[in-house]
Amino acid sequence: MSADYIYIALLAASLGTYFCRAMGVISAGTLSTESPIFHWVKCVSIGVIVSVISRIVLFPSGTLEQTTSLSRIIATLSLVLIYFISKKNILLSVVSSAIILVLLNFYI
Amino acid sequence: MFKSESFKNGVKHAIGVPALGLGSSMFAFGVFLHSVGFDVYQSFVSTFFTFALPGQFVMAENILAGGTILNIFLAVLLTNARLYPMTVNLVPIIRHPNYSKWKYFIACHFIAVTAWFNMFAVHKTLKQENKFDYFFGLGGFLWFNSVVCTVLGYYFSSFVTKEILIGMVFLNPMYFLIMTIGNLVEKKLILAVVLAAILSPILYHIVPNWGVLISGVTAGTAGFYFFRNEKHVG
Repeated sequence: MSADYIYIALLAASLGTYFCRAMGVISAGTLSTESPIFHWVKCVSIGVIVSVISRIVLFPSGTLEQTTSLSRIIATLSLVLIYFISKKNILLSVVSSAIILVLLNFYI
Repeated sequence: MFKSESFKNGVKHAIGVPALGLGSSMFAFGVFLHSVGFDVYQSFVSTFFTFALPGQFVMAENILAGGTILNIFLAVLLTNARLYPMTVNLVPIIRHPNYSKWKYFIACHFIAVTAWFNMFAVHKTLKQENKFDYFFGLGGFLWFNSVVCTVLGYYFSSFVTKEILIGMVFLNPMYFLIMTIGNLVEKKLILAVVLAAILSPILYHIVPNWGVLISGVTAGTAGFYFFRNEKHVG
């Protein structure tokens, strides 16, 4: 793969991403935070984000493919459990879940 | 251009867990790019101009597979399409007559899941005229930190074991998930989250490329519809 091809591909990826953001600015127009559309869009945004997370946990691509599905599910459930046990300590719960994932795959 | 105090407060907000969560994944991305033969300038350019991780991985995988430029454009567009509703949602939050429209076209480059969630978590505590600068500090720092972490990941890839890399890659989706759970104060959002978590893996087998989008739109619409009379909190 030539350097030119990579840079053009990087440009295409950047344009594809910026297009989504710029269209969002245009569509937002004069949209009010009190309008029903605003709240519908928030629900859709959260829905899409959770869909991405769900796919990463259950059907990952890349590095996480080297881990078992069961370990990812256990690590995710641990995250939620530790979050509530620790009175919503984000750092502790997130780091603990990553450690649990590694332990389950390489040391247990 | 900025009220420096609000901008600084946004930067302070980003330093800590938000920067750690996103930075670790960007570091892992830098390690990945090194391992598949990209050079450091290409790694830098990728995060500098794209700054949306799932799409960056898709871009790299398509390049390695020798995909056409049009294929890469469309694959990344589809993968990063979540940024569209997120931007539609965030702009009215930070909008103020003091700022001309072109500034939103710059600020939107900093819209990504981490900045979006963190802005939503605090925006009600800020004065409307300070929100744009606060977001610029918050999102801008996360972007800057991501560029630095990608380059660091590239240079330090030989020191990172497989175990550490896997742990770092896992931090970011877990951070997204906990930020989602932490913001679940409305029934319509709870329903959207539960439905999306169930629908996404099912649709992955039926329409792999479109599954995430269809799942998100369906789940979000169902949550909004069934609890349309609920009082809005966030």
